[in-house]
Amino acid sequence: MKDANKVIGTPVNRIDGIAKVTGKAPYSMDHPVKNPAYAILFKSTVAAGTIQAIDTAAAEKTQGVIAIITHKNAPKLNVKGGLRGGSLLQSPEIEFFGQHIGIVVAESFEQARYAARLVNVTYEAKEPKVDFDQLAKQARVPKDKEKADLKRGDVQTALSQATYKVEEVYETPIEHHHPMEPHATIAEWNGDRVTLYNSSQIVNGAQAATAATLNLKPEQVRIVSPYIGGGFGSKGGQWANLALAAVAAKHVNRPVKLALTRQQMVNSVGLRQHNRQKVSLAATADGKLTALAHETTTHCAINDEFIEPCGDCSKIMYDTPNSLITYRVVPMNLILPTYTRGPGKSTGSFALESAIDELAYKLKMDPIAFRIKNEPERDPSNGKSWSSRTTVQCLQEGAKAFGWENRKPEPRQNERGNYWIGYGVAAGTYPAHQRPTSALVKLKRIENRVMATVELAAADLGTGTYTILTQTAADALGLPVQDVKVKIGDSDLPPAAGAVGSVGAASYANAVNDACQKIIQELVDKSGKQFYVRPTAAQLMHSEKITDYQTRVDSKPLASSEEYSAHSFNANFAEVAVNKSTGMIRVNRFLAVTGAGTILNPKTARSQIIGGNVWGIGMALSEESVLDPRWGNFVTRSFADYHVPTNLDIGQLDAIFINEKDDHVNTLGVKGIGEVGIVAVAAAVANAVFNATGKRVRELPITPDKLL
Amino acid sequence: MRPFAYTRAKDAASAIKLLTENPNAKFLAGGTNLLDLMKEDVERPNALIDISGLGLSEIKTITTGANQGGISLGGLGKNTEAANHPLVRQQYPLLTQAILAGASGQIRNMATNGGNLLQRTRCPYFYEVSMPCNKRVPGSGCGAREGINRMHAIFGWSEQCVAVFPSDLAVALAALDAVITVRSANGQQRSIPIAEFYRLPGDEPQKDTNLPHGELITAIELPKNRFAEKSYYLKVRDRSSYAFALVSVAAALETEGNTIKQARIALGGVAHKPWRALKAEQMLVGKEATEANFKLAASAEMADAKPLAHNAFKVELGNRSIVLALQMALNGGKV
Repeated sequence: MKDANKVIGTPVNRIDGIAKVTGKAPYSMDHPVKNPAYAILFKSTVAAGTIQAIDTAAAEKTQGVIAIITHKNAPKLNVKGGLRGGSLLQSPEIEFFGQHIGIVVAESFEQARYAARLVNVTYEAKEPKVDFDQLAKQARVPKDKEKADLKRGDVQTALSQATYKVEEVYETPIEHHHPMEPHATIAEWNGDRVTLYNSSQIVNGAQAATAATLNLKPEQVRIVSPYIGGGFGSKGGQWANLALAAVAAKHVNRPVKLALTRQQMVNSVGLRQHNRQKVSLAATADGKLTALAHETTTHCAINDEFIEPCGDCSKIMYDTPNSLITYRVVPMNLILPTYTRGPGKSTGSFALESAIDELAYKLKMDPIAFRIKNEPERDPSNGKSWSSRTTVQCLQEGAKAFGWENRKPEPRQNERGNYWIGYGVAAGTYPAHQRPTSALVKLKRIENRVMATVELAAADLGTGTYTILTQTAADALGLPVQDVKVKIGDSDLPPAAGAVGSVGAASYANAVNDACQKIIQELVDKSGKQFYVRPTAAQLMHSEKITDYQTRVDSKPLASSEEYSAHSFNANFAEVAVNKSTGMIRVNRFLAVTGAGTILNPKTARSQIIGGNVWGIGMALSEESVLDPRWGNFVTRSFADYHVPTNLDIGQLDAIFINEKDDHVNTLGVKGIGEVGIVAVAAAVANAVFNATGKRVRELPITPDKLL
Repeated sequence: MRPFAYTRAKDAASAIKLLTENPNAKFLAGGTNLLDLMKEDVERPNALIDISGLGLSEIKTITTGANQGGISLGGLGKNTEAANHPLVRQQYPLLTQAILAGASGQIRNMATNGGNLLQRTRCPYFYEVSMPCNKRVPGSGCGAREGINRMHAIFGWSEQCVAVFPSDLAVALAALDAVITVRSANGQQRSIPIAEFYRLPGDEPQKDTNLPHGELITAIELPKNRFAEKSYYLKVRDRSSYAFALVSVAAALETEGNTIKQARIALGGVAHKPWRALKAEQMLVGKEATEANFKLAASAEMADAKPLAHNAFKVELGNRSIVLALQMALNGGKV
């Protein structure tokens, strides 16, 4: 909740906005280094097998080439160092199409790229495992203990006894993160220490994994990442290209710039896996859920497992006596899947919230009333109290704001010219966590002005970390916003959590708040005075004639927070228009209502939510990475084929935040909004498409051909 | 990219001479497709002859010859200028709609009219050099024939190539019976009707057009017609903008009362060239402009379609799109 005297909760303009729009904010490749060489990775053109020979003679002779590094001359690296997805040039084995098999370093990018084309590789190719439809029946129980079968009650009996039920399979395709800034690194060695300019959602994680991979101590690796041109999970765990940039720079004894091309992004930095989700629901005639089963089959890499938690929403969204959540996975010759915005929840909510809509329709119940009827009082998965839960408020306030009462319950009842109009709703959730984060606050007094600098190895994905931390420190220190400077994105700063899993704002803002509260207390103690009104940092520095003072905290989550189940919640409303002849869909209106505790900055928060909504609309209608099941290559290699929404695809977007104060989740009551913005978006759109056309599309994306 | 020589041509004659002398040279105009293809190592010219400074961008009324009263678009004029020129907007609104349905504002600002006609297919197997593609490397096989072919042809394909031609502009030009004016090495101008300009893949899918190496597109001529009031370009695609057509239809009608005097229908996204729906056109002449007649004409045309594994939907979509485009044309862009 907003405090009248505070800047927290006010729409402060983005601190880094001017620097970004004027090109002064340096992204990974923009940092000035002296005399850099340019590296490009070259990649396997088979999905399984062994490299028999790599002939680099022609490439080496071309103009500008400095070095070519392959598994034959690469240094020994630690493949278990924590970089994801393999591809570290340690063996001739090929596990997926597009695996890195070498690096060309040259005087220019163009020379490197040309030379890479001249490398001649011969393989002993094997039949690749890439056809998910064929392989799905071989899927096994996951190794990941978090994905073990979760059973409560007896779903099978409840389903067999129910009159009203839904048992359907929902498919979500492979997607790619495709941030505007492709993964790129500048590596610069200074003695036995390497600096890596590399945009990283987890600065300390990138440092630790790269150091371990390169067989170095963490302090020998510095990650510099002041700005990130989008990440969406692909810059959370880091990938081989980061270490290979350091290897190349060492090899040629010069700074090296290594950027992935857009086409290389599809098999270098993870993906969202294809999920085949069977959802079974049963309910009594009056709409009380009696069973909920969510069974996911997916794929992972040949030698490594990652499974996004598609069943998570189903664990906690609805009250049911019988529940079953399972995962099965089959290894494929494909890069390791990874966290992708709203991991498991965006995809899982498509299946769950479509099924809920299907069952509400069978029950002839309003889908909002059906959801509210099955609202759980406590977290069904562990019996804990909610720190706060806003699902009902989100649904009700949203319905009012959206004009839900104008919805026709039966499909094809609302037409406008050659278009069917449909309304859809879906509800979602994402966990709220705070992670240990340290912060250093420095005060400096110059004549009449006291300035603060806050330092931590946090990340700003472009979502507003600089801005919210400036606001947090300004409030806690009693300083104006313009007298607070925030330094983040550097592993030399105090260690911080990542900007991942919606933990960034809660972890960073609470740490900064703790550090600022501590510095005020220390200055008060130093003064030996008693104050009846809380003094500002400036007053204390002036009265005690201090010119420089600093303190640091290692902030941790509240011990009591473990007693509660803490999550953000949302409800999304979509109005679509479907062309009766062609099946082309336009989302006329989209409304996201979010309950996420304290909203630090409603302007940046709104941008983050509608950004998530836009990706969710892309997920619903157009995004799909298509594999050729014969060879394991993606045929959708660029934005010409991988269809993210364009401006023309997006109608009116609105975001509403529930005014709530969660006292249990953490000191500032911040829950995080990064992930929840994409959760339950595709389902709201798909449900609206059903309401418009009467066609239930259970396989994303809903392209025009599926509505003919 | 591969090293190449770059020459800025002084005039059309020297540009054509430079190209004629070198079978591996290419003209560079807007570069919106060629440069992408060079970065991908699909196109490998050893010389680029930059013709962007040659002028040849004028849009004007034709005052003599067979197409008198029509208009001429300079071969090196930009797509954006062609789309927005008053003569085009007033007399050939179909062309304006088609151009604006293609690419993005930035690309249309760079791309030239002649370049648009000569763009290459966007088949993913053509773009990825590690894949077989008879169009890129004759004899290497067709990756799409048994591969992912949702975007591919349903008319006129061969076992060697199932790619489609991606231009929107050319689909409208096909409906409008445009004539391509080219200049040859001997300095002669000649005219190629658009129906003879493009070709089906057959056994030589590496050839997109019948334009010989060494000839330069200097203009595109549009004959005078009476379609301006009743024409429509419908583009069905996977998103609202910046996507290639699943199916597109350029439809134009000339009516007397409610009787169709003339009909023009060309389809995009269905073949190796803009697909002129002659069968449907012939069925409509002399008939009443009704939905029932539009449906009969559409299904007569689409009956000849031969879909591939992933694009059977294009047959039904083509049917519906022809009908909708004709209705839109008849009703001034509304249904």
